[in-house]
Amino acid sequence: MDGKVLEIIEKHRNDDSKLLAILHDVQNEFGYIPEDAIKTIAKELGMKKGEVYDAASFYSFFKFEPEGKHEVMICDCIVCHIKGSERIIERIEKEFGVKMGETTKDGKFTFKIVEGLGYCEHSPVMMLDGKIYGNLTPEKAVEILRGCE
Amino acid sequence: MMLLKDASNVEDYLAQGGFKALRKALEFGQDEIIKEVETSGLLGRGGAAFPTGLKMKFVRKERKTPKYIVANADEGEPGTFKDRVLMERNPYQILEGMIISAYAIGAKKGFFYIRYEYKEIAKDIERKIEELRRLGILGPSIYGSKFSFDIEVVLGAGAYVCGEETALMESIEGKRGFPRIKPPYPAQYGLWGKPTLINNVETLANIPVVMSMGGANYSRLGKEGCSGPKLFSVSGFVKNPGVYEANLGEKTIGEMIELTGGVEGEFKGLMIGGGAAGFILNEEYLDMPLCFKDAKERGLFLGTGDIIVFNESVNIWDILLNIAKFFEHESCGQCFPCRYGTKRMREIIEKIVRGEGRKEDIEKLNATARAMKIASLCPLGASAMLAYESAMKNFREELMGVIQ
Repeated sequence: MDGKVLEIIEKHRNDDSKLLAILHDVQNEFGYIPEDAIKTIAKELGMKKGEVYDAASFYSFFKFEPEGKHEVMICDCIVCHIKGSERIIERIEKEFGVKMGETTKDGKFTFKIVEGLGYCEHSPVMMLDGKIYGNLTPEKAVEILRGCE
Repeated sequence: MMLLKDASNVEDYLAQGGFKALRKALEFGQDEIIKEVETSGLLGRGGAAFPTGLKMKFVRKERKTPKYIVANADEGEPGTFKDRVLMERNPYQILEGMIISAYAIGAKKGFFYIRYEYKEIAKDIERKIEELRRLGILGPSIYGSKFSFDIEVVLGAGAYVCGEETALMESIEGKRGFPRIKPPYPAQYGLWGKPTLINNVETLANIPVVMSMGGANYSRLGKEGCSGPKLFSVSGFVKNPGVYEANLGEKTIGEMIELTGGVEGEFKGLMIGGGAAGFILNEEYLDMPLCFKDAKERGLFLGTGDIIVFNESVNIWDILLNIAKFFEHESCGQCFPCRYGTKRMREIIEKIVRGEGRKEDIEKLNATARAMKIASLCPLGASAMLAYESAMKNFREELMGVIQ
């Protein structure tokens, strides 16, 4: 792992804004940010391990433990809310036997509530592995997720 | 349309006169460009509506170097999506505005900060920056001039507060997105303590418009003292939600809703001012012109230019609870009034939504709102109660109807 992390750090060596870029790449590579990677980043950037973790843990999208294979973010901002996101959330929780914020037992999905994906013209929306699905109904949302490998 | 063009590839942008404004600007003196922007009356499009020319002047006159410029695409207000649509449809105009602004203030390096939710767009902007380098429009000696400038894209990682300019700069520096105490302002003490110009992407896209037509002509678009094209994100219960462009002061809220095909269902109310940090209004406001000045006269802000339309199915306490949860989650936790205040607001509103609200709860809400407004460190805490306060004014009967 160390080699890969060093490679990522090297890629951003000349950037002025390094830390977020490195953390994003590490997360893309491993699916989360492992503790050993934080150690390596700290050492290479001349920071303390706690300083790296302090900054990284501030941001909601950095993860420090492995999660499900697919990341599902369901928008519950004002617009999605009045357009029925609550019913979608209820239906998914029932259908997959999880609460929001949890991963399904088979490790396939991690579900999260977010507050503003920025695609309000298609409300209600969800983001599945970075892709937006809009004008959802509870049935449509479940169907999209069931179609996932 | 001056902003909502369809020019997502460089050939289309050039064919529509793209980068002409930049070439013209490079023949101008730096102070002349700033003068044009000042004359235009352009006000910032990110929510605060601060005069853009003045901000440029402040950075220009600083002696410290290097100077930086930042494009703020950390669009995080619920109901606001105009920056995303602008980046999708007309990204080069933002970059052109950024290069002209950088030249005017004397910056050699810029940062394009984009929220995590738009990571695919961030990749696209990165490709476009690379393309402009190849074309000699970015990088060393732009268009053969003595001016060199480059841009680095920074992807956020999920923090609403980072839309606040000083928090955003902390984030670029690789730290927690904690807002700084102002003053000093970014013009004096910005990125790494250096003079920094930070503008919303829609503001930057207006710069080539100003340069092309000249500041005086631009100032005549729309209304005096509130000029130029503006993007409006219209969502909720309207027939065709989307981003619409109009000159400031040209259309009323009601006319804008009509432009989208009208209300779906029976009109009940609306929000303006930038999503959660906005105002809940009733039908009395439908004839208000969409203009920073008209909003201010009524004690409101136009903010990011969003309109969320409610029909009869919307319950106002339910909206207030959604907003309270949003702020509780997004409070960065640095200052006490906001950290505790947002939690307390959510708890009280939750109690009311459960049907257990009493008169004392309303008093507690009012006191909490007041304290947050006076004592919060940044606009997040100071704007968390705007929706509640305006709803109390405009939907008092409905809200008090459930209080024992």
